[in-house]
Amino acid sequence: MATLPMIPELLRQLFRTPATNAFPAKYLPSSVTEFLAKVGRGEAAIHPPVPVPKDFRGKITYDPTGCTGCSLCAKVCPAHAIEVLKDEKRIRIYVSQCIFCSQCTDICPKGSLAMSDAFLLADENRYADHLIVE
Amino acid sequence: MTLIETILAAVGGTVAMAVFGIVAGLFFLGVDRKFAALMQARIGPPLRQPFIDAAKLMRKENIVPENAIPWIFNGAPILALASAITILLYLPVGSIMPVLGGAGDLILVMYLLTIPALAMVVGGFASGSPYATVGAQREMVILIAYELPLAIAIIAIAWRLSMAGIADPFSLTTIAANPVWGVVGPVGAVGLLILLGILAWVTPAELSRIPFDAQEAETELAGGLLVEYSGKNFALFYLAQAVKTIVMAALAVALFLPWNLSSFVAMAPAVAVAADFVFFLAKVLLVVFFSISLIRVSMARFRINQIVSIYWVWLGLAGFVGLALVMIDAILAGV
Amino acid sequence: MSDDPQKKMTPYTVPIGPTHPALKEPVMFTFQMNGEQILKADFAPGQTHRGIEWMGMRRNPVQIVHLTDRICGICGVSHSLAFARAMEQIMEIEVPERADYVRTIIAEFERIQSHLLWAGVAAHELGFDTLLHLTWRVREQAMDTIELLTGNRVNYGIIQVGGVRRDFTPDQFPAIEETLQYYSDLKSKLLKIFLEDKTIQMRCRDCGVLSYDDALKLCTVGPTARASGLNMDVRVDYPFAAYGDLAIEPILPDAYMGETRGDVFDRIVVRLLEVDQSVDIIRQCLDRMPAGEVIAEPKLAKLLNQFKKAHGEALGRHEAPRGEVLHYVRMDGKEHPTSWKVKASSYSNLMSWIPMLEGEQIADIPIIVASIDPCLSCTDRVAVVRSGERGIMTKEELHRLSVEKTRRLSA
Repeated sequence: MATLPMIPELLRQLFRTPATNAFPAKYLPSSVTEFLAKVGRGEAAIHPPVPVPKDFRGKITYDPTGCTGCSLCAKVCPAHAIEVLKDEKRIRIYVSQCIFCSQCTDICPKGSLAMSDAFLLADENRYADHLIVE
Repeated sequence: MTLIETILAAVGGTVAMAVFGIVAGLFFLGVDRKFAALMQARIGPPLRQPFIDAAKLMRKENIVPENAIPWIFNGAPILALASAITILLYLPVGSIMPVLGGAGDLILVMYLLTIPALAMVVGGFASGSPYATVGAQREMVILIAYELPLAIAIIAIAWRLSMAGIADPFSLTTIAANPVWGVVGPVGAVGLLILLGILAWVTPAELSRIPFDAQEAETELAGGLLVEYSGKNFALFYLAQAVKTIVMAALAVALFLPWNLSSFVAMAPAVAVAADFVFFLAKVLLVVFFSISLIRVSMARFRINQIVSIYWVWLGLAGFVGLALVMIDAILAGV
Repeated sequence: MSDDPQKKMTPYTVPIGPTHPALKEPVMFTFQMNGEQILKADFAPGQTHRGIEWMGMRRNPVQIVHLTDRICGICGVSHSLAFARAMEQIMEIEVPERADYVRTIIAEFERIQSHLLWAGVAAHELGFDTLLHLTWRVREQAMDTIELLTGNRVNYGIIQVGGVRRDFTPDQFPAIEETLQYYSDLKSKLLKIFLEDKTIQMRCRDCGVLSYDDALKLCTVGPTARASGLNMDVRVDYPFAAYGDLAIEPILPDAYMGETRGDVFDRIVVRLLEVDQSVDIIRQCLDRMPAGEVIAEPKLAKLLNQFKKAHGEALGRHEAPRGEVLHYVRMDGKEHPTSWKVKASSYSNLMSWIPMLEGEQIADIPIIVASIDPCLSCTDRVAVVRSGERGIMTKEELHRLSVEKTRRLSA
């Protein structure tokens, strides 16, 4: 197939496994909550999320025990995602605004901030509980 | 059979064929999407996806653009679906003979094939959108372009059958009952292979699939003549597309692959009908894969002037070569 | 039908945009058509103004450097690199040599993924979706490597003023080598599938031609210019980062095809060959990479203090996958810059659409528009919102306005 070099490639691909990352369920279930309940009971299996490399910059974690409220992290945050609570000497991070540059974790003198592996963060409410770290 | 029984049989047959055409058509659209997905290394939607799509579109609101002509705009989809189902009434399905039919129905089918396309053209012009207008113009050009090779392919077969002394060669029932491959010699077989190839290349244009989908051209015209259609009207066009898929495949099967299992293996009449039906679906699957799925994933969309020159010059010439070979074969056979 | 020949010839108008399947980003085209043929083309950018420079002038350079990642969705390092280079010139920071090599390697990985992304988009515009899926599938390898090296997939956040934020660890080198081998093996297959395909040739050969003279006059940059035969590449002409140490030749289509036609096909050739060139550049970098620090000032707090003492202005340039990007920065002893101007590569290339489009068919619009790899969100700097009218300003008026603004800023 000199003029259509794609055809042999296509016919070969027809018998190979697809390259796409699998969704949690192969096809959209008619009811997602029912499907998840089934998974909970162990009647159905979900494809796990793809693994992430070492030092991946996922959802931020905050350990307030050592925090002194120095506000350096807020100073370097490009997205203004960090709110400094002056009275409590704590910070509050809005993950929906975070751009995952990890600059706050670099500058934090107490090592209170770190990036986790979590990346499935979609939510309809940008102020949902799991999207505010404090 | 009394007149009432005849009418009842025709009505019952029509309803049955309409249901069959829509269900099988949607199923084969799903098969086509699955084939395409697998060849593109994707998982693809489930086979039932076209049914879900059609059901969802049916529940959606119809939007008629402000500068459209409403009665034409709403009438075109019904005309497209109705005419597509009408063609199906003339086509044999396995060993089930056509509901309607008679002398010369092959010519009728050729004319009927243009009606769904014309309905889309009318609907496109009535939409009052520049994209739809450009799409409708292109559809007309494509319609004229693929008519020549299609006519050559169909007429060559009927002509060869008539030369072999078979009565009523322009009837699809006759063509299906007398496989043309059994009539021709080796030279004619080569000619028929060329004609089969031509039919495989006309099918994507008839169904407006890549590479001949200039009239819809998603990236150029955003859907072309269907750009303004939504909801139920769009669902009707979608169903017409599904029925047309079955029609084109059934036509190719009737012309070139008309064999039935029951003619090779002896079996009870009821079993034979079922076996032939399944065999028919398998043949349709073959046609869908080679002339729709494989072609549409393996090349880029052509420009409208390239489509015309491909059909008129290259496929037209190929058609005449095929026709000439079939004629030489007839002379060699001494008829 | 009217018998009046004048009326028959009346061109009709086809609007394409601001949103349309052919356009991956908003821009408004107006075409005067005669049948399927384009008589006159006009376009109006400015539909995706995001005020990013305004945001930058209210932030300190450590914040801006990650803001620049977001100027373009694909060039996650090009803008940051150009901005960081401008800042380093103002503050007279010497970037450690190893950092230069890390920057170069990331920039070249970015070129690989950007060109493959473009090739997929171009195939999709032609209606060849299989090729889109294939190129985006092989692009994943570069994306995964970038993710491994930087921690992020799209907006890498690896550049810092004065160096880079992460050094490569020894266990990452086998993964880099594997990726390079993957693309070396893929080269012949990609070239075959794109360049020997008859349908791609039919659609792209002699379509959207940009002559050498037009390319020069309209100041095109990057692969668009090189495909028209212009021998220019910032990496070669004004070497920066590690490029000065490496052997690089600008890719011109005649090296592979034997002639330069300046059409869409030549742009495909240039970009595909540049993927292979990037693999070669990364190999050279890995061979020469010196040991040492990767950042001049590892303490961010100290760096923030230095910004307050910075005075001066500078230009930072980089050869992004789409062509030259240019950042102008001016610091006046405050924490944030007094002035920051971004010129994305597409800004220079947009005007070349007009000579390419005129005389072609409707069917060619998507592929011609895509052929310069336009990045409109990066380009749009101005949006007129005050009055509904969009007046066209002359050069003199624009000059007067800029002089006034400069006075206002320095006052």
